[in-house]
Amino acid sequence: MGSSFIDSQDVILKLRGLYTGYSSSERSKKHLHNNLNCEVKKGELIAILGPNGAGKSTLLKSLSGIISPLRGTIDINGKDLKKMSNKEVSKEISMVLTDKIDDRYLTAYDIVGTGRYPYGSFMGKLTQYDKEKIENSFNLLEASELKSRYYINLSDGEKQKVLLARAIAQDTQLIFLDEPTAFIDSPGKVVIMNFLFEFASKYHKSILMTTHDTELALNFATRLWLLGKNNMFVDGKPDVLMKKGMINKLFDRKGVTFNAETRRFESYP
Amino acid sequence: MISRTHTTIIFAILPLVIVGLFLVNLWFGSVPIDWKDVWTALFTNGGVSTAAQIIVVQYRLPQAITALSVGVGLSIAGLLLQTTFNNPLAGPSVLGISAGASLGVALLVLIGGVAGSFMSNTIAIMGDLAMVFAAFGGALIVLLIIVFVSGKIGNAVTVLIIGIMIGYLVSAVVGTLQFFSNSEDLHAFILWGLGSFSKTSNLQSMSILAITTIVVFVVLIFSKPLNALLLGKQYAISSGFNVKIMQTVLILIAGFLIALDTAFTGPIAFLGLAVPHIARSFFKTSNHSILIPATALIGAALALGCNLVSKLPGYDASLPINAVTSIVGAPIVIWVIIKGRRISNG
Repeated sequence: MGSSFIDSQDVILKLRGLYTGYSSSERSKKHLHNNLNCEVKKGELIAILGPNGAGKSTLLKSLSGIISPLRGTIDINGKDLKKMSNKEVSKEISMVLTDKIDDRYLTAYDIVGTGRYPYGSFMGKLTQYDKEKIENSFNLLEASELKSRYYINLSDGEKQKVLLARAIAQDTQLIFLDEPTAFIDSPGKVVIMNFLFEFASKYHKSILMTTHDTELALNFATRLWLLGKNNMFVDGKPDVLMKKGMINKLFDRKGVTFNAETRRFESYP
Repeated sequence: MISRTHTTIIFAILPLVIVGLFLVNLWFGSVPIDWKDVWTALFTNGGVSTAAQIIVVQYRLPQAITALSVGVGLSIAGLLLQTTFNNPLAGPSVLGISAGASLGVALLVLIGGVAGSFMSNTIAIMGDLAMVFAAFGGALIVLLIIVFVSGKIGNAVTVLIIGIMIGYLVSAVVGTLQFFSNSEDLHAFILWGLGSFSKTSNLQSMSILAITTIVVFVVLIFSKPLNALLLGKQYAISSGFNVKIMQTVLILIAGFLIALDTAFTGPIAFLGLAVPHIARSFFKTSNHSILIPATALIGAALALGCNLVSKLPGYDASLPINAVTSIVGAPIVIWVIIKGRRISNG
């Protein structure tokens, strides 16, 4: 078929027989998910949902090469992640992590500037092009007034904007976000989700994000990955998964149910 | 954030301060010497060698050059350690790294009977090299232990306390070595252990200056990975750096600087820890492309200043340099612990 050729061109990330987990020592390996097979295409905003401890962050870090998967392969733009150097990976994937940055004198601009490090020479200064990219990312996030402020003095919402600006300045096809909406007030969450959705579709970027904001994810994500305990992994469109009752199954908790009509969690006696 | 002009002004003033302090170091000492004699001593080759000339050229000049170079070296080492360990309390003396260098030197001097500064010519150079290598070996062992401990424990204060304990342990071993060594070697080692900028010859001081200058320029190359490390290991990886290799290289450079300086001057307290903090609060930045030259310049100025203060009594005896650097450095450690929010949450 004609369209399948275009489709395969659009695939940017491919998981083949992937086993995620971590080994705390040689003897004890903790398996989280076994034999994952799926693809990510350009322009998708994929929300990874699941209860605490399901392995959402581990999956994200495995896909970015920060930790190595137990088995299987990850193809990024047709290249095997295992064979790529950190520098090569940093030109394909940018990240927003939950790690705290607590340096006292780093400005927002300094932090966004590190997003350009994959491109410059080892020691060279930021070029004019780098500076334009940095300016553009601040503008996109309407965060220009934060540029010269110290990162540590910013509110949680502003910090998240700066980290997002760093990821955007890195100018990668894939953007991975670990809980970008945590610690942010409700309107702020909607602003970020809306931004991510529009950014992905407008610039054909592929965004993978973990989140606990299920209701927002259902509204904005183009696709969901449901990660549960006991090796549960479901990949599908939000509406389809919701109607199948998969959200309920994922968070299987006594006294709480997900109502597909109202798109909300509700308690029952 | 301070303005660019502000930064430029401080960078313009610092070299002037250093030159001034350097000249005062040549002029001021237990023997009063005229400014004019200092000048002639510096810029006349050969000719009459007056007592004043000999004092300035043979004693005060190498002392001032050593103070300047060691001030730069230890401060840069402190900066590298603070960034790579992500620990504001890291520094050559507090983490027991200087103590490790002392152990290396103790093994060499007390068991091998080698004391570089007390010999002449080619043997002296061999002795110097042996001292540097011994100090490097000792410093590296402690550094490896700290690397291991930091990997297991995130909390900066805990790592600091363990570093101090390692320092005590190493000192105990050194003490035991002293007990079993002969009095001549012991005398040499104790003199070394007191710490002083005044034990170097002109050749030695110039060598330390040359090596330190080269290393500072090498460190400047690492501005970007150092900045990335400030965001944490995982962000540094996502900025495209091989963090493990980067950390290893930076720690080796820091260890080398500490070993070089400690071998020639004995352990110098607190300078390496304090100066990067002074540089950060002067320039209000953590960007290493500014912080590295800033730390180097402030380190040079502070060491020259401390050396001057140690000469203040004016008599034959001078204050131990470690007493002076501790008076400057210890309050800064306390200030960092009280003010730092990043320490408590490990």
